[in-house]
Amino acid sequence: MTDTQRTRRNRRGFIKAAGALTASGLAFPYVARAQDKPIRIGVPTILSGRVAQLGISSRNALQIEVDKFNAAGGLNGRKLEIIARDSKGKPDEAANNTRQLINGDGCEIIISAESSAGAFAVQEVIRELKVLCIHTNSETSSLSADPKIRVPTAFRTARQGIHDAIVSAAYAGNVAKAKGLKTWMTCSPDYAYGRDNTSLFLEYMKRFHPEIEMVGEAWPKLFQADYTENITKILQAKPQALYSCLWAGDLVSFLDQSGIYNLFAQTTLFAINMADYTTLTAVKNLPAGIHSSSRYLKTFPAVPENAAWGDAYKAKFGDYPTNWSWENSLAMTFLTTALRKVNSTDGAKLADAIRGMKVKSPFGADGTVTMRAEDQTTIGYAIGWGTTISKEPYVPSVTPGDWKSILEHEAEWKKKMGFA
Amino acid sequence: MRSTVWLDIVIAAAAMAVLLLLPLVFPGKAFSDFMIRLSAFAIFATSLNLLVGYTGLVSFGHGLFYGLGAYSFALMMQKLGTSIPVAFIATVGVSAAVATVVGAICIRLKEIYFSFLTLAFQMLLHSVIIAWTPLTGGDQGLTGGVPRPPFLGIRLDDPQHLYIFCSAVLVVSLYIMWHLVRSPFGYTMRMIRDNPRRAEFLGVRVWRVRLLAFVVAGVFGSIGGLLMSLFVSSAYPDFAYWTVSGEAVFMILMGGISVFFGPLVGAVMLLLLNDVVTRVTEHYSLMLGIIILCFALGLRKGLLGFVLWAWERRRAGAQ
Repeated sequence: MTDTQRTRRNRRGFIKAAGALTASGLAFPYVARAQDKPIRIGVPTILSGRVAQLGISSRNALQIEVDKFNAAGGLNGRKLEIIARDSKGKPDEAANNTRQLINGDGCEIIISAESSAGAFAVQEVIRELKVLCIHTNSETSSLSADPKIRVPTAFRTARQGIHDAIVSAAYAGNVAKAKGLKTWMTCSPDYAYGRDNTSLFLEYMKRFHPEIEMVGEAWPKLFQADYTENITKILQAKPQALYSCLWAGDLVSFLDQSGIYNLFAQTTLFAINMADYTTLTAVKNLPAGIHSSSRYLKTFPAVPENAAWGDAYKAKFGDYPTNWSWENSLAMTFLTTALRKVNSTDGAKLADAIRGMKVKSPFGADGTVTMRAEDQTTIGYAIGWGTTISKEPYVPSVTPGDWKSILEHEAEWKKKMGFA
Repeated sequence: MRSTVWLDIVIAAAAMAVLLLLPLVFPGKAFSDFMIRLSAFAIFATSLNLLVGYTGLVSFGHGLFYGLGAYSFALMMQKLGTSIPVAFIATVGVSAAVATVVGAICIRLKEIYFSFLTLAFQMLLHSVIIAWTPLTGGDQGLTGGVPRPPFLGIRLDDPQHLYIFCSAVLVVSLYIMWHLVRSPFGYTMRMIRDNPRRAEFLGVRVWRVRLLAFVVAGVFGSIGGLLMSLFVSSAYPDFAYWTVSGEAVFMILMGGISVFFGPLVGAVMLLLLNDVVTRVTEHYSLMLGIIILCFALGLRKGLLGFVLWAWERRRAGAQ
């Protein structure tokens, strides 16, 4: 055999192998005996870029619960397996990944750990493919509240924007009354979540404490690097209080840059997304006295199970969990309970089991969380506000939100929006 | 000429037959999903190549039409409840009208000025989509799904029907564009690309040809967006973002700018690359950057361009 012939043969072999590999990827995505194969859970999420922490901390929390379920024997011997895929924060990619996870990788269940934009895209795929889906990170209320958007096999374990708005305004209103904070300003990211969250907060703030006066608003872009312009605007307006729903890296940058101007010497900050360990520990000099909602704190709810869960997560991954982590952990509690109950991965059967289900959870306000049947979203999770200090436990005391009041105001809001 | 037309029709019919038979060989739904996405991107990238490769107009804003097609179609289906054929034709009409206006402004500029003005128009549409939340859903895109009522016995909510429909649109679109570039109009486009002044001296109204090429490319670009909106049952602002135009440019570069089917091959490569790389690593952008760098340094003609070049060289050597 000459060198040329050998080269040709090698090349042909390579082409054949590459062709076979491609064909197997496209045509035979998943073939295995039903009783042996693991139950695959597809997780479209964001694993790269500035908000990669969202996907990483979600995946970590899911893995803890999957390991626990598998160690207990799985579902009649069938183990759970997580397949996470990066949507890069693009909705069309989230939709495509979800389809691929179901149609290509044989995933029977979807945990949509996407931000809001991606979650709405995933919802449309679920509408068509009808597998069970739990949205774990999208806080936009309409995802579950709007009947036009709702899908029978899709649920949400993420906190909801409207719940946060009611609790935030009730807490901020009380602080404003006690401290005489009359002039207010907002500084929130200029995209759907930032606009919705801020307008809902202001709506309820004016209802609970009508004496407040708005003296301005600043709308930095999402992932903006330099906040000088916004900080200068706030300094010029001299508000007594500032509300912000900036989050993660954006909030850290804003706080670090505000420190240079000593902004919070004259203004009290209410930052709804502050009390998350990854944010609290990332700020260079965390100012004391920032008011924040409880994103995730191992001290709230103050129950041993919550502290143990936070410590176990830190022991495994070297970092404390995030708000997204507990929301994903809660999703797995609903999912594994339903799997054991119906002994099937059928989307409709699992959905029937989860609808209206009440589970014991360390993240519940009273030790339980309910998946409300009417709109397939969770209620009764721990939610509250407190004030930061610069070291652990960071928020020593949290004032819990009143779920009776939350549900009353939410029902009114739904009527007003035409959702009920 | 007449026999060539018939031969092309036979080849197109054969291609359609192959596309219809492929699901028997690759029965997985993942394959049909891949082919539907490929149809959208292949039409979009090939339409951009009408401008870049055949007319010498390097448009950075071709995603304008991709986004416009997706939103026009999805909005008509969602808000007006029209039938799919009517929405399809209306989308083509809207895109042609917008392309005429945008093209009339842009083609008067040359080279980088043309490129950036097209980009500016694309970003203008993107800004409108983001800002006009009550109509477009803002940065969350259209929610609630795109209705797909049956027409002529075709049910596009059935994945098999959608696959056949997208395959047919792909074949017909490529057939029309193929004929266009081989027609006297296509030769005029290439003449303008190579030497616009010479074409002008020969009596060609250069601006008119460029404008017509821009409109045709815009119409097919919008059909690509339309297919994607059918696939994802929605429309998102990212469809009108500059990165979509960038992806089409990558497809052309990877497949081959000087070959008609280069963008189709490039679309296959980029989509496969996206799917495979996203499975194995979270460093997709880094991997893509390295691969594109390799193409820019080593395979400047693109894969199909290189294969054809090597084949012709070998044939010449044998003779």
